[in-house]
Amino acid sequence: MELTAQLLVYGVLMGLIFALIALGLSLIFGVMNIVNFAHGEFLMMGMYIAYLLSTFLHLDPLISLPIAAGAGYLLGIGSYHILIHRILRGPMVAQLFGTFGLMLFLRYLAMYIFTPDVRSVKQGILVGKTLSMGWVNVDASKIFSAGVCLLAFAAIYWMIYRTKLGRGLRATSIDAEAAKYMGIDTKGMNALAWGIGGATVALAGALLAHFYYVTPTVGMLFTLIAFATVALGGFGSILGAFVAGIIIGLIMVISGQLVSELKFSFIYVVYFLVVVFRPRGLFGW
Amino acid sequence: MGQLLTDIFFFNDRPRFERVGFLIFILIILIFPWIVTSAYGRAVAIKFLLFALFGLGWNLIGGYGGQVDLGQAKNVGFGAYATALMIVWWKVPFWLTIIPGMIIAAAESFAIAYPMFRLKGHYFAIATLCVALVWKELFIFWDWTGGARGVEIPIRSGADFVYMQFNSPIYYHYFIFFLFLLQFFFMNWFRKSKLGYAVQAVRDNEEAAASLGINVYRTKVVNYTITGGLGALGGSFMAVYYLYIDPDAVMPLDLSILIAMTVMVGGAGSIWGPIIGAAILIPLDMYLGAWLGAQKRLGIDFMVYAVIMMVIAAKEPRGIWGIIERKIKKETR
Repeated sequence: MELTAQLLVYGVLMGLIFALIALGLSLIFGVMNIVNFAHGEFLMMGMYIAYLLSTFLHLDPLISLPIAAGAGYLLGIGSYHILIHRILRGPMVAQLFGTFGLMLFLRYLAMYIFTPDVRSVKQGILVGKTLSMGWVNVDASKIFSAGVCLLAFAAIYWMIYRTKLGRGLRATSIDAEAAKYMGIDTKGMNALAWGIGGATVALAGALLAHFYYVTPTVGMLFTLIAFATVALGGFGSILGAFVAGIIIGLIMVISGQLVSELKFSFIYVVYFLVVVFRPRGLFGW
Repeated sequence: MGQLLTDIFFFNDRPRFERVGFLIFILIILIFPWIVTSAYGRAVAIKFLLFALFGLGWNLIGGYGGQVDLGQAKNVGFGAYATALMIVWWKVPFWLTIIPGMIIAAAESFAIAYPMFRLKGHYFAIATLCVALVWKELFIFWDWTGGARGVEIPIRSGADFVYMQFNSPIYYHYFIFFLFLLQFFFMNWFRKSKLGYAVQAVRDNEEAAASLGINVYRTKVVNYTITGGLGALGGSFMAVYYLYIDPDAVMPLDLSILIAMTVMVGGAGSIWGPIIGAAILIPLDMYLGAWLGAQKRLGIDFMVYAVIMMVIAAKEPRGIWGIIERKIKKETR
């Protein structure tokens, strides 16, 4: 009982972070129909920002959250303007290899700068603290991260469905051509989607750095988890990403308890089964 | 019969400069180990031929088929493990392990292709990646494959043509060149065969191909199955060349990426593309990697790769062969 409760809580908390990671990927896909293989590398960069600020400037990782989000925003916008808009019109193979190249570049840039050593954030108000609530003991940082994820989700949701900017984004995602004729700056919207995608995933990275080790190669795993999440929720669906994130979190934690060596395989299998048997996902159209 | 031999060994449909270029290429490879005597230089040539071999196989699905498969390493792994385990367990001669390895890889590809080809584009690419990673995790997890420790093939003394173990890299050079030529001529036949044309038609326009009576789904499945089998061939060579294999050596994601990249850089969908791509990327990898490794600068080689990849994707999706072809066309006009 105790173990079950612990696993469920842990799974939901991890799931909220997965949801925040998947949010940006889903948004980018929804707006311009391109899959970003470098998504996990944006996350890795957010983790390194938290690590660097805490190790060298002795800033609390909490302070690094807005900095990471800002850097992620710039990285997203920069990637769009430097690379992505050039490959958008090309064949799908070129798009795939374009973002794949971006992924390799960021990954090995990190390898070059930080070496392959495994690092972790050691200082901070929340690092290493646990809260105990009845049956379950939970890391304070995980509860806090889940809270931030909820807030970020609410903010993005509000932005997309309640503001003029969000309406522009939605119009671009439904029909970019028509949106252009209506006077919407679709190029700007594309860049904005990349910016938001980068910001949210880098924020998730800075949160994750509280309790997850940091290496240059950590990104690929989270890219794949995000793919599975987005596929399960339905490509382009924000609400879908949220629900699917929690489901994926629960699957990973429970399967990890059963066969810890294969816990990631379960996620890959989930992706495979979902796209094959229900390509729309849970909330896709 | 005569027609078949012509289809396999001749390039009558290709321009003359290509045929001359290929002859020069064969001559260079034949005399290479007698000109370059350093062990490292010979190792570079062997790795180049190995990746040209991999590239030729991947070109089937990635170039002619137009489907981005990011999981070819799993087939390499099947071939390598089939060879290594059969030699270690039952002392089966190397030559008898090639076909079983290819059959295992082809069978797995066939089984997986059925659900897989309900997917297209990005979804397909990610699915191939996921399948390859699951296999790698399984090979690490299982005990009978040696787990993460891998498999070691016992070393024999002297030149052994039954188990293909030699002291001198010259033997390996001609051995891999032989395998390369086998596959090259197979590909030369394939691109002109009925199946080859069907595969290319499906890539260019599925609806049009279907309206001409091509079974699109079956064409893709058969193509993917053959690709899987061809991947295992190079894997078998890796097992006897390195004499030690583990999942990180023969099934990593990096290997899948490198195979796909050699074809993309060289020119997907052309018979020369994989050779050109391997001739550029492999020496770059080996020399840059060795030089930077000595200076403890990890990662720069892959950054160079990544930049090449992004430039190719943005500027010329048809790769270097696309650039060459365009230049030639301009001159002859």
